[in-house]
Amino acid sequence: MKFIDSEHIEINRDLSDLDAFTIDFTTILKKYIDYVIISGYVAIVLGRARASEDVDIIIPRIDFSDFKRLYKNLKENDYYCLNAEDEEIVYSYLEENLAIRFAKIDTIIPNIELKWIKNDFDKIALKKTINVNIKGKQIFISNLELQIAFKEVILKSPKDLEDAQHLRSVAKEYLDHSLIQEYKEKLHGFY
Amino acid sequence: MGFIDENEKERISFVKKWAEYVRTHSDKDWSKQQNVIINSALKSADMTREQFFKMKGETHYV
Repeated sequence: MKFIDSEHIEINRDLSDLDAFTIDFTTILKKYIDYVIISGYVAIVLGRARASEDVDIIIPRIDFSDFKRLYKNLKENDYYCLNAEDEEIVYSYLEENLAIRFAKIDTIIPNIELKWIKNDFDKIALKKTINVNIKGKQIFISNLELQIAFKEVILKSPKDLEDAQHLRSVAKEYLDHSLIQEYKEKLHGFY
Repeated sequence: MGFIDENEKERISFVKKWAEYVRTHSDKDWSKQQNVIINSALKSADMTREQFFKMKGETHYV
């Protein structure tokens, strides 16, 4: 794993089924809208020894016509929405700031949990992404400092604290520790 | 120190050791081992859509 700079990581890893699923989905998604992967998969793609049943992704607000084109393309590539089939219902969930989930036909797990940005921290995550190059395929993950702060201050479950520890350990020379502290203080005030 | 604290301490210790392994071995090496955990967990997962949403505490589906 090579940390090239604060915005680029290169990993020459064998793909897991979860990696292949995530790359496939985001390759379609990025044709229509920016995105950023957050939470557990950020730690997993950087080597954390655990599985996950879903991959969390944030996108900016998207209008209905663009959403319909995205949804059509996903269906053409054998994805379905677990929440509902009707595109208007699916879109209405996004409008209510609820997450929608996509999996491959005839499966439940793994799935993508897709949601709109809803606060300043989501905006930071979308703005400050890291481009992870995995054997020539690219995915965009949140900056690690924000993920560590969010897991240590807000989520705080054993699993989340272990994810944060993994990120701290695996990227220790490359992290901006003062930025982690800054995010932690802002998060304390926000939630 | 209670059992839960001790257990969590051991888990964090393992996380640190594994992260050090990731840092000091080739991507191919660590990912091969990690993939065994991920792929077997995904293969063994067998639940209905309703069971999945219940597990997640989500109710917005039709």
